[in-house]
Amino acid sequence: MRYFAYVLALLVTPLSAQADSHNALIEGIVEAHILPGFEALATQSQALSKAAEESCDPASDTLRQAYGRAFDAWVSVSHLRFGPTEVNDRAFALAFWPDSRGVTPRALAGLLSEQDPIASSVTDYAQVSIAARGFYALEFLLYDDRLMTAGEAGYHCTLVQTISADIALTSKHILEGWQSGYAVTMLTPSPDGVYQTDKEVLQTLFKSLATGLEFTADTRLGRPLGSFDRPRPTRAEARRSGRSSRHVMLSLEALSSLAAHLAEGDKALSGKLEAAFERAQSQLADLNDPVFAGVSNPQSRLKIEIVQQGIAAIRTIVRDEMGPALGVAAGFNALDGD
Amino acid sequence: MTAQNTGRRRFLGGLLAAGVFPKPTWADVGAPAFLSAAAKPDGSSVLCGVGANLQVLFELPLPARGHAAAAHPTRPEAVAFARRPGTFAVVIDCTTGTQRATLCAPHGRHFYGHGAFSSDGSLLFTTENDYEAGQGRIGVWDTLQGYKRIDEWASGGVGPHDVKRLPNSETLVVANGGIETHPDSGRTKLNIATMAPNLAYIAGGAVVERVQLAAELHRNSIRHLAVGVGGQVAFGMQWQGSGPLKTLVGVHLQGAEVQLLEAPTQALRAMQGYVGSIAFTPDAKAIAVTSPRGGVVQLYDAKMQGQLETFAMPDVCGIAAVGETLTVSSGNGEMRHLLGSTRLLRRLTELRWDNHLVPVA
Repeated sequence: MRYFAYVLALLVTPLSAQADSHNALIEGIVEAHILPGFEALATQSQALSKAAEESCDPASDTLRQAYGRAFDAWVSVSHLRFGPTEVNDRAFALAFWPDSRGVTPRALAGLLSEQDPIASSVTDYAQVSIAARGFYALEFLLYDDRLMTAGEAGYHCTLVQTISADIALTSKHILEGWQSGYAVTMLTPSPDGVYQTDKEVLQTLFKSLATGLEFTADTRLGRPLGSFDRPRPTRAEARRSGRSSRHVMLSLEALSSLAAHLAEGDKALSGKLEAAFERAQSQLADLNDPVFAGVSNPQSRLKIEIVQQGIAAIRTIVRDEMGPALGVAAGFNALDGD
Repeated sequence: MTAQNTGRRRFLGGLLAAGVFPKPTWADVGAPAFLSAAAKPDGSSVLCGVGANLQVLFELPLPARGHAAAAHPTRPEAVAFARRPGTFAVVIDCTTGTQRATLCAPHGRHFYGHGAFSSDGSLLFTTENDYEAGQGRIGVWDTLQGYKRIDEWASGGVGPHDVKRLPNSETLVVANGGIETHPDSGRTKLNIATMAPNLAYIAGGAVVERVQLAAELHRNSIRHLAVGVGGQVAFGMQWQGSGPLKTLVGVHLQGAEVQLLEAPTQALRAMQGYVGSIAFTPDAKAIAVTSPRGGVVQLYDAKMQGQLETFAMPDVCGIAAVGETLTVSSGNGEMRHLLGSTRLLRRLTELRWDNHLVPVA
């Protein structure tokens, strides 16, 4: 009998130990990666709103610096697209990009020329097209040659302040969503919950890493790269404020941190990922090309493509090694998405 | 030489001896019940013809990963389409295993992976992306002029994926998935916040009816279609939103209101927001959908009586009604009969079956 109990314990322990370690992994990610990221976003967005109240002049250094810090905070959490960011389209309200049809400048020009009174209230402003909200809209008002001076000056000022306040409010709501429930939701899966098991939570975190890498490679780099015959430098993300390359770097830093958490306890995998991230990051730093203007020149273009390939190499490790290690690998058709 | 090739050679020898060469029909190629693209263990891509008994009858190389195919209504000829954003489609003579023609998407277009023939087989229609305009197109190809492109129509929306012809009719039904992509940014979805999928009917080159779901369902991408003998169009969706999902399957009859099929929360959840393929059961009483993400096949009553049954099968995606059964395929190489007296029949190959099983008329 005693022997039997011992065998049973042996059989059961590894499974529950794995469950515990998964739960600890999730807790680590929520506490050290997710919550601090959204706290920074809420704090910096609040500071941006305050700076806009003090000076709404697009050329104001204080305003532009506050804008830059808040936008940095967003990019660093922009891969965490689940839960509170998706309620009421909050993430899109902060970041409507890529804007393949140029809706943002059109919507802003419309508001400015009509002096639409909706801009006088932050709560009302949540009703406008999401293309006219968030960091990318604000970038046009602060940095676009035409839109930074368009419209009546007083109205332009109100619009800058309202968009900033709207960003602050949205960021606050996301943080509250995490603090008031979603962190617990991720830490305590249950049959009736959003997540039924730790594995489902891990799958979501894994997916945000994979999707974040894909977005940075294919969109942040892919859109300005265009094709060899038709490079698209004007499609670079946030090029007006000179932030395109910075966004790739910030996202790689954030994704590297998430990857390190997910690979915790697997030394070989961690080392491999760390090296791959470092390689891509140093290749990017060596470019010294803030808005990827080099896409139009064959030689500098090649170097930007190399950064993209570096991210592709990370994606391969994540898909082929991390996925199976976490037990969340997707099948041939499950991965397809068609 | 593989067993496959030996088989084909022996088979062709048989054809020669039988003297049936002048005008071959589908029955001559060993009567494949359906076609499917697949990946081989070495990573190369093929199109296979498979018999109702799940035996692989032929295996033809493709230049890159395929998606779906269209079987010519009368000739033993099939067109295999590249997976998006591919630009090739290959016309294959299934009696000889040779390529009859290659279709290249015109400049500024790529295929989505699906196509359909006119009832007499003289025209082929393909779903395409006019990616600079961000608009869906239907390419029109003349099969009698060696698959020459002769026209192009608006698909009635963005991101057209599946296209089917209604039975006894030349009207096409198109699943405009609503998602804009551009080959420069891979498969990144560019317009999730504003996407607006629809089901469009096209007759004589013009959109004659367009069906949209309620605004709160605008992130339910209408992707795959099955048509019933009475012209009912069943559609499978892919949920791009977050939060509670209401439905993944709908039915529509031209000119009528759309009906959305409901399922218990747990059943919907098992699909993980994703329908990979859809088919009517042979008796047309039920609609079957697959989810490779959830690893399940689910049957819904076609008359709105709810979700009936769930079968588990890892990485399942392809599904087709053949004879009295439903055949399903998976990325793990398995094919299986789900219904009827042969429902225990299954076959495991080393091929990874790709998304769709295409029934041969």
